[in-house]
Amino acid sequence: MILPYFVLLPLLAAFLIALLAGKKDDWAIALSFMATLSILALSVFGFITMREQTFTYAMSGWNIPIGICLVQDALSLFMLFMISLIALTSLCFSVQYIRHLAQDWKYYALFMLLLTGMNGVVVTGDLFNLYVFMEIALIAAFALVAYGCRAEEYEASFKYAIMGGFSSSVILIAIALTYSSTSTLTLAGIAQALPGLDQRLVMWIAALFLVGFGLKAAAIPFHTWLPDAHSSAPAPISSMLSGVLIKALGIYVLIRLFYNVFNAPPLFMNLLLIIGSVSIMLGVFLAIGQWDLKRLLAYHSISQIGYILLGLGLATPLGILGAVFHLFNHAIFKSLLFYGAGAVEMVLGTRNLKKMGKLAHLLPITAGTNMVASLSISGIPPFNGFFSKLILIIAAIQAGHPVYAFWAILGSLLTLASFMKVQRYGFYGEVEHQKPNIMPGKLIHAAMLILAVICLLSSLFIVPGIREHTLDPVVDVINNKIHYIELVYGRAL
Amino acid sequence: MEPSALLTFLFLPAAVAVINLFLPVRAAKALTLLTLLYLLYCAITLWPSASLGSSSVYLGVDRLAAFVLLFAQILSTVILLFSLKGVRRDIERFFFVLFPLTVAFCNGVLLSRHALLFLIFWGLSGVSLYLFALLGKDAEASAAAKKTFIIIGGSDVFLILGLVLLIGSRPVDLWWLDKLNLRPEAPLYWLAFVSLLIASLAKAGGFPLHTWVPDFSKSSPIESVALLPASLDKLLGIFLLARMMTSLFVVGLTVKMIVVSIGAFTIISAVMMALSQHNGRRMLGYHAVSQVGYMIMGVGSGNPLAFAGGLFHMINHTIYKSNLFLSLGSVEKQTGSSEFDDLGGLAKSMPLTFIMALVGALAISGIPPFNGFFSKWMIYQGLLETAKTLPVGYQLWMLICLILAIFGSALTLASFVKFLHAVFLGRNPGTHKVREAPINQWLATGILAILCAIFGLFAVALPLKKLIVPVMVDLGMPEAMQFIGFFHPLLLLGLFAVVFGLGILLYFLVRTVRYDDVYLGGQPADPRFRITGSDFYREVREMPVLNKIFAAADKKYCDVYEMGSKGTFAFSGWLQKLHPGLLPLYILYIFLGLLILGLVINIGG
Repeated sequence: MILPYFVLLPLLAAFLIALLAGKKDDWAIALSFMATLSILALSVFGFITMREQTFTYAMSGWNIPIGICLVQDALSLFMLFMISLIALTSLCFSVQYIRHLAQDWKYYALFMLLLTGMNGVVVTGDLFNLYVFMEIALIAAFALVAYGCRAEEYEASFKYAIMGGFSSSVILIAIALTYSSTSTLTLAGIAQALPGLDQRLVMWIAALFLVGFGLKAAAIPFHTWLPDAHSSAPAPISSMLSGVLIKALGIYVLIRLFYNVFNAPPLFMNLLLIIGSVSIMLGVFLAIGQWDLKRLLAYHSISQIGYILLGLGLATPLGILGAVFHLFNHAIFKSLLFYGAGAVEMVLGTRNLKKMGKLAHLLPITAGTNMVASLSISGIPPFNGFFSKLILIIAAIQAGHPVYAFWAILGSLLTLASFMKVQRYGFYGEVEHQKPNIMPGKLIHAAMLILAVICLLSSLFIVPGIREHTLDPVVDVINNKIHYIELVYGRAL
Repeated sequence: MEPSALLTFLFLPAAVAVINLFLPVRAAKALTLLTLLYLLYCAITLWPSASLGSSSVYLGVDRLAAFVLLFAQILSTVILLFSLKGVRRDIERFFFVLFPLTVAFCNGVLLSRHALLFLIFWGLSGVSLYLFALLGKDAEASAAAKKTFIIIGGSDVFLILGLVLLIGSRPVDLWWLDKLNLRPEAPLYWLAFVSLLIASLAKAGGFPLHTWVPDFSKSSPIESVALLPASLDKLLGIFLLARMMTSLFVVGLTVKMIVVSIGAFTIISAVMMALSQHNGRRMLGYHAVSQVGYMIMGVGSGNPLAFAGGLFHMINHTIYKSNLFLSLGSVEKQTGSSEFDDLGGLAKSMPLTFIMALVGALAISGIPPFNGFFSKWMIYQGLLETAKTLPVGYQLWMLICLILAIFGSALTLASFVKFLHAVFLGRNPGTHKVREAPINQWLATGILAILCAIFGLFAVALPLKKLIVPVMVDLGMPEAMQFIGFFHPLLLLGLFAVVFGLGILLYFLVRTVRYDDVYLGGQPADPRFRITGSDFYREVREMPVLNKIFAAADKKYCDVYEMGSKGTFAFSGWLQKLHPGLLPLYILYIFLGLLILGLVINIGG
């Protein structure tokens, strides 16, 4: 059974780093690479061999409903694969970048805790356990945001902690309400018990969850923590936060709860549509006016999350497919964009687009991969973002929501405009630069090139023969809604 | 036609692009030229057998596509010939990767039968445009690239919306683009039509989405200007418009009139802007916009004759406009400038280039016997015939459009007088030592100039009968043939020759010409007081009503892009004021969100 290792390996790595690394960070780097690589291998192995089945693992042999169970299905394996892929490239990027800031093993220990938390959220089948893992990930994230130890970073981290704490308490209230009315904390058990409850109460619980996890996903109007936190964190952490954290803690949990537990209630699906399209539009409008590159990217995360929520709100198989595909694609290109911003910040010491200027010849690989990522996020063929947005638009029109399709394309147009701004000022601008003291090394280039290639290759996920083995099982898990109960209990009800 | 044979048009140039990445530049040039010649041969052999009968789900070619495909290959081959010598050294390698790739994408658009493939290739051809724009050298190149791609890439999303609205209700494996004939009663017909119109206008450079063309023309490598906005993008944009008008939509009279008006407005507004330019590239760029207006009028009117004229004008324009851009390119490469103030008197030192540019200028101004005259004539006559059948109000509307178009043609001639004077005529001591362009360059412009003459002199026998009539028959408009029966270019030519001869006769009868040196206040003229041509027609800018319009145009009030970005940044600034970084305010937002959710649940649940 591979399931517990997704949590155990990074947790072990975190403790070992703290115990062994001492003053040097070589050990820390080696240990974290080992842990991340093995999780990546496990998730790929798991996805290839077991994608269509659902497995549960009872912790310490205590069965449901007494013990905590871990659940593995295509959705969780897909998330795990995405998390470990981004974590791996982020580690590659971190080695030079973090040494450039300070030589420190603590960073890697926190990174492993972050990974532990996210993996835990994804694999657990228990609501309170999910809460605990979420807090682990969040506390690691608060610390990592403040890692640079500058005033603005502390401020960002503090705001993040306050707002994160606020939403966590909303979630805790919702969990308490759930437990008091269903007497169980296993997700499948809750799903089973919900239809028998007062529906008004169920709606309120759902609303509290939507607020709580909507904040983790940074959907508007719960988005205000994100721009500060994501732009202040060190670049590899920004890419972890924007690329996967908001999805593992926010979107993934929303999918699990609203599809597999609450059985996709139409009212909330409509709410997701509205929140999604508002996030698309306001996010992109906020982004286009920014001159701080990382802040611009952070606001785009809000907008792109909007696309995912829009797809989920459509609640048709095609909409879910688009959402899941966009979830993956966004992780790839947004991380890549943050690496580009990080590389430029490392070399020039600025995030201000106006001061960046002529970089295409100075940093050809950074400029090239940044171009790929910019075209991907703007939805330009042949990159992955084009296909996921296309699916979302088709899905919206087929579901009879042309208005939402219109918001989606308008958002796409503005996204293109704002990334043209990034290209124009950031990489093809007028400011000339001397040869800098520090240049991005091989590992940084490797991280960027891997993701740039994936930006192109993951377009293939949509090819019919490949889709059936990659995205379709994930969509099935979501679209089966509370069929999840039977799959978890492993018997017909 | 075997679908596998069509794949050659896509994969061969794409493969050559990849190979060119690794070849020495010289070999890359040779390989690209051979490939394009082979593709040209393929396109010629494809023409007789083009039909949708045996095509696959994904690729197919009808007469229209084969026709456009043929000219795409001709133009790209000739432009490549021009590019063999003279592309800037530092961009040469990338240029010869991008060139075949662009051809592959353009062919892809033309041969796609599946809407998804069409979308992908359409988007890719926009990307190649962007990459070409980034190769530009001058300070504005990067800004021009940004503007170009925001308009082109932005219109792609409307293409997506339009196509999905058009055929989104079918399962994805049945997304054919032929014979859809969406009726006006259909839900969201308007949104679909406008979306596709946006895409085609942006690509072809029609008003109000034309503003990228002059900027791109100003800053990008001149070979890419001749290749994309002057040739391939015109072909693609008008190809889409022709598809919309014939097979995608059933178009009512009012819509046709609106499209015709867009065409007329494009002609007149762009040619007015062209008149007042003092940079050769920008001027030709505005003309590339203005001429699109004729094609839009012709194709949009739905009259078979005007439609045929629109298609004919499309290929004529690609020929003479790339000729003009390339001639200007030769001049620029020899003198280092495209500003009218720096040029002049080049007819002596670059006579071959001058002759080619002269032919192009006469063709674009609609002077017989060159091709531009005949296609414009066909459009005018077609529109007049349509006007006859219309209700009175529409008749007036159509006539106004027609008058604007004819007036635009006269202004085109006027602005090319300026162009020829400023670049080739007049005196400029600074350009005496300039040498003639290398052989490959004047050979390329020469081929285009000869095509201008052939397509004019033998307009009926060659392009119309052999190419355009079969296309029209295939599109279900065989009536266009009737007119062509009465159409005698040689007769018209004879009439013009008589008039011209009379003019010369008159000149010899009354000539009193005196050649003298130029003096100013009794002193030999200072070169500073040379008449450069860049101030021609400045009074147009000072006319009572026009001065206001020009002032507005200078403030970019007519530029959708500039206005859009102003509005966007204003809204963005307002939104940022709502995000001042105050934690209590942010918590308040969360509370408000919760409150609204609660209300919704109490009402909805």
